[in-house]
Amino acid sequence: MIEISELRKTYRMGDVEVNALDGINLEIAKGEFLGIMGASGSGKTTLLHMLGLLDEPTSGKITIDDVDVGRLNDYEKTQFRLYKLGYVFQDYALVPDLTVMENVSLPAMLRLDRTDEQTQAGSFEVLQKIGLCDRRDHLPRELSGGQQQRVSIARAMVNKPDILFADEPCANLDSENSRLVLELFKEINEEFHQTIVMVSHEDWHKNYFHRIIKLKDGKIVSDGTNGSSAH
Amino acid sequence: MGKKELKVAFLLALRSLQRGSRSSVILTILIIGMCFTNMIFLPSMFNGIGQSITRQVVDYEVGNVLVSPKSGDKYVADIHATLDLINGMPGVERATPHFTKGATLKYRQRVLGVSVRAISPNDEKFISPLYTKMVAGSYLGDADIGEVIIGRPVAGDASIRQEDEFQASLGGVRVGDSITIDYGNGYVKDYRVKGIYFTGWSQADSAVYVTYTDMALVDPKALDNAESITVKAKPGYSEKFIKNELLAYGVGGSGKVQTTADLLSKSMGRALQSFAIINMVSLVVSIIITTVVLFIVITIKTLSSRKQIGILKAIGVDKEVIMHNYGFQVIILGILGIILGIFLTLILAAYMAVNPIVTPEWSATLYVTPLDLFINSVILFIAAVVAGYVPAYQISREDIQTAMRS
Repeated sequence: MIEISELRKTYRMGDVEVNALDGINLEIAKGEFLGIMGASGSGKTTLLHMLGLLDEPTSGKITIDDVDVGRLNDYEKTQFRLYKLGYVFQDYALVPDLTVMENVSLPAMLRLDRTDEQTQAGSFEVLQKIGLCDRRDHLPRELSGGQQQRVSIARAMVNKPDILFADEPCANLDSENSRLVLELFKEINEEFHQTIVMVSHEDWHKNYFHRIIKLKDGKIVSDGTNGSSAH
Repeated sequence: MGKKELKVAFLLALRSLQRGSRSSVILTILIIGMCFTNMIFLPSMFNGIGQSITRQVVDYEVGNVLVSPKSGDKYVADIHATLDLINGMPGVERATPHFTKGATLKYRQRVLGVSVRAISPNDEKFISPLYTKMVAGSYLGDADIGEVIIGRPVAGDASIRQEDEFQASLGGVRVGDSITIDYGNGYVKDYRVKGIYFTGWSQADSAVYVTYTDMALVDPKALDNAESITVKAKPGYSEKFIKNELLAYGVGGSGKVQTTADLLSKSMGRALQSFAIINMVSLVVSIIITTVVLFIVITIKTLSSRKQIGILKAIGVDKEVIMHNYGFQVIILGILGIILGIFLTLILAAYMAVNPIVTPEWSATLYVTPLDLFINSVILFIAAVVAGYVPAYQISREDIQTAMRS
């Protein structure tokens, strides 16, 4: 489903070139719950952003569902993100002036294949799924960190994307809320067979992943299923 | 841009204004409102002064059309035939002669140089509201001889010492008092003050009025001559029409025919030009202030929301939606500011209608027309939209990574 070949990202810092990603080759199957792990600065987030079409690689190719995403123009990338991808960010990234319901509905409202009624019903359904229906008219600042992250997950799910990207979604949460969020990802993955790619540096998160890749200095240093690791 | 995108952009804009910083929204609306008021105030004030002067010139000097002596002549001759001719023309409400002589007024120890204007009091009522401006005594009658009405500034105030007077006067003449008029041609006559008037138009207020019959005794030329003939048009008839009628009927052979507009364009042309320049400067300054303020407000808004803009783009919101979100915010702020500005302007206009600016020369109120309000609204709205869309356009084009890292 996702194929990455010889992916490189080089940043220039003054006269020095830094290889954030250094020739990554990777395939991610449909329905996989993939964990990207590694130390700070290993290139985890950079790889996630490349896969999520949030950044341009210096070289290499990314194919998602047989689409060479490097060939898409700016508008096509936006539409691709809207219809096929979902994102959960470390700091929730909700729109502070919109209610929970409006935040969740926002991506769905832009879809041309959905009526207003379908948007409302879909948003309500995911809010029920995350257990925050009763808080739908609240603003993000009126929710706890864990609740905000669940709203963020609901927003990512509302368009039923093929792939869900999560960038350290538990980084700002305590262990109990982290567990709740990971359980939610697991449920989504099992129930809807959505592919999930999640960046984490917490060792105990790997229990939730089907497969884990470890990055170091922009290279994959290990790639294996939960409990086993292989190059 | 589809309907759905516009709907989302509008929702984002509305919620940002509803739930964002309320003080910033109120301040921005207030600034736009005050800029609008500033844009319209000076031109309306100048318009008001112009209207006031025009009205007073029409009321107390020339009517709608003035027939004055041809160049080289001192008087309009054969006035009885001319008046009969003019009064019979379509569109003419009334024509009446004026005859003015310079004279010296004497009252007790006071001596004052004035213009003595001779009028036909009953005909004058059709031309001028002077008869409604009596503050003491009564207006002249056609047959009055030896009676005079005088302006309040000429009559003066007995409680003010001569050396403290702003304008020289007779020091407190009252109705029924006798004053002496020395016409300078050897004709000196005592008059009884029949009434005192105040019009607010300095040239009328610093004059005195006698009947045409009386003036004919002083200067026999007044029997069949006039210094000018003022013509009042019936409602619905333009000055231009009356002027053309007069020329067509041959009145141009007896005197020079000019409309009020003709006369004012000569006497006030430079003043009007200066007003227009000041208006333009005021307009440009207001537009610049509004544009800069809105530009700063939207720039600050966009810069402080850069990360959020990056997130919105990441979840599939198109850059056009983001740009229109800020565009709609400016449109809403602009409309509310303009409504406030119109409201402030109307309050000012209402206040000044009750408390006009009064000078010794003229009195003026704020003259605001619906067209003025509309034109200024459109200008300010366009300026606001441009000021809002420029930073919105710039920020919406920023790449996601740069925006999200900010």
